[in-house]
Amino acid sequence: MSKVLSKEFLQRWAPLIVLFSLCIIVSIINPNFLSVRNFARLATSSAAPLMLAIGVTFIIIMGSIDLSMEGVMAFCGASLAVVMLQFNSFVEWGFLAIPVAIVFGVAIGFVNGLIHVKLKIPSFLVSLGIGFSCIGLTMVMTGGVRVSASDKAFRLLLTERFFGFPLMVYVAFAALLLAYFIQKKTALGRNLYAIGGGEELAHASGVKVERVRIIAFALAGAFYALGAMFAVAQIGSVASNLGTGFMFVSITSVVVGGTALMGGIGGVWQTLVGVLIVAVISNGMVLVGLPTYIQEGVLGVLVILAVALATNRKAIQLVK
Amino acid sequence: MTKDKILQAPDMNVSAEERAAGGRKSISKEQVTKYLPYITLFSLVALISLYDPAFLKLENLLQTAQDISTLFIMALGMTFVIYIAGIDLSSQSVASMTTVIVALLLPSFGIGAALAAVIIGAVFGMASGLVHTRFKIASFIATLAVGGIAYATGQVVSGQRSTYMPADLREQSMGWMVGNTAGIPHEIFVALALLLIALFIERRTVFGRSLKAVGSGELAAVASGLKVTKIKVMTFALSGAFAAMAGVMLATRLSGGSPTMADQFLLPAIVAVLVGGTPLTGGVGGVLNTLIGALIVAVIRTSMTYLEVPAEAQQIFFGVVLIAAIALTIDRSKVKVVK
Repeated sequence: MSKVLSKEFLQRWAPLIVLFSLCIIVSIINPNFLSVRNFARLATSSAAPLMLAIGVTFIIIMGSIDLSMEGVMAFCGASLAVVMLQFNSFVEWGFLAIPVAIVFGVAIGFVNGLIHVKLKIPSFLVSLGIGFSCIGLTMVMTGGVRVSASDKAFRLLLTERFFGFPLMVYVAFAALLLAYFIQKKTALGRNLYAIGGGEELAHASGVKVERVRIIAFALAGAFYALGAMFAVAQIGSVASNLGTGFMFVSITSVVVGGTALMGGIGGVWQTLVGVLIVAVISNGMVLVGLPTYIQEGVLGVLVILAVALATNRKAIQLVK
Repeated sequence: MTKDKILQAPDMNVSAEERAAGGRKSISKEQVTKYLPYITLFSLVALISLYDPAFLKLENLLQTAQDISTLFIMALGMTFVIYIAGIDLSSQSVASMTTVIVALLLPSFGIGAALAAVIIGAVFGMASGLVHTRFKIASFIATLAVGGIAYATGQVVSGQRSTYMPADLREQSMGWMVGNTAGIPHEIFVALALLLIALFIERRTVFGRSLKAVGSGELAAVASGLKVTKIKVMTFALSGAFAAMAGVMLATRLSGGSPTMADQFLLPAIVAVLVGGTPLTGGVGGVLNTLIGALIVAVIRTSMTYLEVPAEAQQIFFGVVLIAAIALTIDRSKVKVVK
């Protein structure tokens, strides 16, 4: 019995158990939770956070952190809308805005990684600075006004439904599979775990640590751009506050899902579970009738609990 | 003065030791780093007064100092945390929360509202410290999470609305904070008084001395018997209290509070500490450095207004300055693996 309930077992399955218990609790309080409509709503609202969380998962697996997503998201979202407005319609070349946004995301991530690695500055501060700068850039680009992105073809992401779920849910799922492929089947993915497990060891065994780090940040930028795309499709316009709140939600999701901040453990499926936990909590708060603005507080408590449970405190001497 | 004299002058002050070491080229990297903040400040002031001599008018200088005092108070608290090589990302949320609290409590408690706000700020800081030390969670995550809780608390307490201070009550209890004496705004006095308190804590208390030990080498500090956990918790509490004081002043200046009022403060506060010369790796610098840092931030802001850089674009610049300041000041011998 004690073997089955060992700490490892709990750490591995706790997020899923939490997710199911939350679903059961919320649906007992409000049976509407279990409708297809509500599930579609849950999935739609999770699409953008999932992309951001996947992006930062790669970084956290390495034991680093990225706090730039709010700015990167705003910048990519705004460039998406601005480029789209240059063309007559989404179908006639307007779709080029999507690769442009992704390239911007990659470029910002690349700069982020480059500064972090070459100047040896902790990633959380580099990314914090980059994120702030990006919000400024977005404001300059948009002139501080809301840019509309109401092209019908683009917004099919939200409006076109298959089996009750909007198109963007399927696209997000495809991106999740792609992320899983990168994590599991590529040298990059394995190197991320190697670095997270122990950077000096990875270096000694021939992993090009610096290069892997930079690529990981660039990759994360691509996923932030996808998240921006979903958020823009959902809202139908962009302002410089597009990303507000997403940093907290995505990092919470990653750690609640079971990816350790120390690095080396976890992955994108865990992140999916984490995103769903956060989504069910905020969805549940609405269904139960709690104000949504306390969400940030609830997430704060959640982060502390999740990180505290996942950290092997005996193994750490020094924490800053 | 002749050219000869200038050339001779340095020699007379050079000690025997330095002369032995090769004399004239004795400016080490450390010395440059030490004086860099001062050099930066003076060059910036020189540049901007060349561009517009009106900058040097007393009135304008006082205005600049007045505008930066709120940020400076927050940066003071942040200095202690960075001094022990941690970081506090909750400052702006705590400050925002306290603007709401002080505005709401003012009618019933008068000046007691400010005291209550500072205590609440300290409690939130203490919570950060406890989470950080007890659970061994990196300080940036611990403070980010506690900041989230503070933010939500501000939202709940205010009901997501801006709260206003009744003018007469504000005048009666808080008026002393925002008046003018002999042309000098009171904010400057308050900020300087708090600087003196912070300086006293840093230089003249056991606590302050042990901060230096923790910042220079935490493991050594533990080994030599310092209660590092307790020191750290106190440091974060202090940072929370200073953030709350910044919030109180902000609320008084703007006659009210809102749960997002201090939203733009975090980045410049960190920048002020870092460009002042307290590196992210801790152990050197201190609150006096932060005074220089805050003045640098103030001058940069003013000059950008002169150059008609829009407020939004200033943020781009501060992000870049943040990175540059860290890159220049960080002590790379202290960090083996940069994560």
